[in-house]
Amino acid sequence: MITDRITSFLGVAPLLLLVAVGLSIMLIDAFSKDRSGLALTTAMSLFAAAAISGAIAVRGDLVAPAQITRYLAVDQLGLFFDVVICAGAGLSALLAGGYLKEHGLERGEFYVLLIFTAFGAMVLARAVDLLSIFLGLETMSLGAYALVAYRRTSARAVEGAVKYFLLGSFAAAILLFGSALLYGATGHTDLAGIRDAVGSGAADPVLTILALVMILVSLAFKVGAVPFHMWVPDSYEGAVTPVTTFMSVAVKAAAFAVLVRVLAGAFGDEVSMDLFTGWTPVIVILAVVTMAWGNLAALAQSSVKRMLAYSSVAHAGYVLVGLAATYELGPTAVSAVLYYVAAYTVSNVLAFGSLVLMGSKGKEAVSYEDLAGAGRRHPAAAAPFVVGVLSLLGMPPTAGFFGKYYVFSAAVQAGMTWLAVLGVLASAVGAYYYLKVIVYLFMREPAEDAPIAVPMRSYYVAAALLLSGYYVLRMGVTPGRYLDFAISAATTFLG
Amino acid sequence: MTGAGATLFVVTAIFAIIGALITVAARRPLRAAMGLLVHIVSLAGMFLTLNAHLLAALQLLVYAGAIVVLFVFVIMLIGPEAETGPIEGRLVSRSTAGALTLAVFLVVATSVGGFDAAWIAVDADFGTVEGLGLAIYRNALVPFELISITLLVAIIGAIAIARSPTE
Repeated sequence: MITDRITSFLGVAPLLLLVAVGLSIMLIDAFSKDRSGLALTTAMSLFAAAAISGAIAVRGDLVAPAQITRYLAVDQLGLFFDVVICAGAGLSALLAGGYLKEHGLERGEFYVLLIFTAFGAMVLARAVDLLSIFLGLETMSLGAYALVAYRRTSARAVEGAVKYFLLGSFAAAILLFGSALLYGATGHTDLAGIRDAVGSGAADPVLTILALVMILVSLAFKVGAVPFHMWVPDSYEGAVTPVTTFMSVAVKAAAFAVLVRVLAGAFGDEVSMDLFTGWTPVIVILAVVTMAWGNLAALAQSSVKRMLAYSSVAHAGYVLVGLAATYELGPTAVSAVLYYVAAYTVSNVLAFGSLVLMGSKGKEAVSYEDLAGAGRRHPAAAAPFVVGVLSLLGMPPTAGFFGKYYVFSAAVQAGMTWLAVLGVLASAVGAYYYLKVIVYLFMREPAEDAPIAVPMRSYYVAAALLLSGYYVLRMGVTPGRYLDFAISAATTFLG
Repeated sequence: MTGAGATLFVVTAIFAIIGALITVAARRPLRAAMGLLVHIVSLAGMFLTLNAHLLAALQLLVYAGAIVVLFVFVIMLIGPEAETGPIEGRLVSRSTAGALTLAVFLVVATSVGGFDAAWIAVDADFGTVEGLGLAIYRNALVPFELISITLLVAIIGAIAIARSPTE
């Protein structure tokens, strides 16, 4: 039956939808001069993909032909990341709809690149084979390089893009080298086969460890963990703000997804953890230096955009805390990681979106000085900013609070209380620079002759802020529904 | 591996290493490109020892033919005289990098050398056009289609960056 044929592809429907929309937008853009609807079309398609993923997860229609599931998992974990990535990308598309128009940068390629980069991120988050991991990573990265370089008349954008491109290519090469070694050590390219080979002791242990180190390095680069974070501040600052938003949420989420799949999935058994001392200490060290350096470097910034870039480095550290607990704690820790990524996505969109809102044609709000007094002149525009930074800081009743709570309590339950304490201390450092935003918004006056940034008027940006603000508060007041999704994704993944 | 195959492997392996060393060590870009050519042709020879004749032919056609020519073309556009300056960097970072490289090399060399994998029987059509076609278009159809998206993204990205900013 033809309908059976179609429903047998239901598990990958969000991916197929995005490809179809991306190709259609390319065609429409080639024949039409009117670009006013592109942002809305893109955002709606991404939200539709998120909704489809959520519906498939709820209904449990996890079906796809074996040809596909060999390379791309169709499971709750993949669908969870589909929702997070598509929501992040959709909100970024809404921000872009306001921002690009305001600053005269609107071109059709932007939305096509955004959709295909999100597609690459979703492929990466579902990848269960070294081949599809590499392809997803490259699709996502190539799109992201081009998006960072999008405003190519700006020297900063080009600098950020070149740094990201060169370092990213190195990271991809290291991933390839690691994958080749892993294939050599285990004889398998699929993660399940690798897991069996390592678990049965058939794999060469030294070669396996070397391969895992290389794969970890390249994934740590993608999530922006210290000491592989060098590209983050420059490319986040150089990129147009909607792209920065997209990279800090969707690209990072996909990299964490594959970290979970590789570490907790393929290398999550006792045999792997017996190789020397397992990967937990490595992740712990990465988490500690990432939290410490990300927060301390964010303190020293005078640009809010750069501060948010370093803060996204620090947040990668908090997620790594949860990841470090996965071997001891299993699904509970994985669900904490998932919840954190989701909470961080909406909070970060809210903070970056408010930064977009604060500027208008000719004067973009970038530094703390640009924000001085803006809260008193335009209270409505400042409100989302306050909620956003408070959620990034982890204040109740916002999404960020429960994100941090679950991650740190996972660390405590896994017997790493000191790591949780360090995390809380690092967050306390974060309070300084997050609250500084609020201080400047409401308690400072701009310098006499300084140009004053005026908030832009855009339904797109307002919609993105309302949506992300709603979910920041919703996930902070009633986290149960979202946590249940995360728990079911984590349990079915590890179960 | 038969005697002739082993000889071919050793010869191509030596040339592949020499080519790779020239590629990374040459100061003049054109010499580096020629080193790459030697490396690629040697790799094609290695594929022959693995019974992958079609892959060897494709390696010569695509890499030696198209990609090296593309490299040379770009080098000629920039100017073949261009030389890289002396390598920058402090002694600490350079020696750390050197030590790490040596460590990775030693680990790989010792574990691959001591690795005793069982020989796997391959199908009769291994390495033939039919075999490769089946591998790509039946078993690895999904990655094959994903590559088309990857290339599409690369093309769109390149056009988006290269397009004139006035438009």
